[in-house]
Amino acid sequence: MTSVSTNFSAGDMMESPLHHHVAHTNHSDAGIVMKEDKFRGHLNLRGNPEDTAFTSAVESVLGVALPITANTSVRSGDTVAYWLCPNEWLLIVASGTQGQVEADLRLAVANKGADQHIAITDISSGQTLVNLSGSGVAELLQKSTVYDCHVSNFPVGKVVQTTFAKTGTTMCKLEDGSMDLVIRRSFSDYFFLWLQDASEEYGLQIA
Amino acid sequence: MHHIYCPYCEETREEEEYSYTGEAHIERPKDPASITDEAWGDYLFFRSNPRGIHHEMWFHAAGCRRYFNATRDTHSYQIHETYKMGELPTITAKTIAADTLAAQQGDAS
Ligand SMILES: [Zn+2]
Repeated sequence: MTSVSTNFSAGDMMESPLHHHVAHTNHSDAGIVMKEDKFRGHLNLRGNPEDTAFTSAVESVLGVALPITANTSVRSGDTVAYWLCPNEWLLIVASGTQGQVEADLRLAVANKGADQHIAITDISSGQTLVNLSGSGVAELLQKSTVYDCHVSNFPVGKVVQTTFAKTGTTMCKLEDGSMDLVIRRSFSDYFFLWLQDASEEYGLQIA
Repeated sequence: MHHIYCPYCEETREEEEYSYTGEAHIERPKDPASITDEAWGDYLFFRSNPRGIHHEMWFHAAGCRRYFNATRDTHSYQIHETYKMGELPTITAKTIAADTLAAQQGDAS
């Protein structure tokens, strides 16, 4: 195991993309509850899904096999892997562990003799994870995205990259029916202002 | 709005997720130094502009961010098929003409 020191601790020194949007709106019976899952590690992974040395190396580090089927995800504890395209995945890991996970992935891939056409990129500072729950979420998503988010078309675990108003998002449906959205840091203000406006009729709570 | 099937996402998605990126199947000359300026100019700048069947590239910009090919009728805007990079179209102006002829002969008999 390569040891990697993570030279930050989530807290005073770090500001999440939505840090300044603290609860100025707080309905007790809100139809939309937004919770930012701050400071998670986000790693973009690219490799050949037909190279078993690559897939088994990644599985040995993550504890689960990469999702190979389009628009799916796998989950193991604090780690989730989203399918992004046939040779690209987004790994979201526990806060502060991304450096170690990246090092472990590089080591495992080298040890298994996977071909060299792989890429692991730490993009944690460029995006954030937001969870939307509540009775108004289905309608809010209808207003916000061109994708059909109806339950019949969006089962638990499905991952969809699509538009969100005039920006983009990667969405994943959770067991509890809520939706996780990956949004870009540079669009976080835009995202929040849109969310605030679009959820006015349901009430918005920041959890 | 079109609904376009992405061969990588394996789903039909809204046109808003895509952008059009020009004619498909244009091969770069193997040895640019040995060809004429005219041939190089053709490769770089000249594109076909048919009325009818056109094979073209689309980019799934808001989705998987992959390029793929589409066979589209520039007259009716109908997209006959989409297929992955490196694959060849199964529907062409020739196959459509043959199908049309067969249908006409079927009507006549
Ligand atoms: Zn796609």
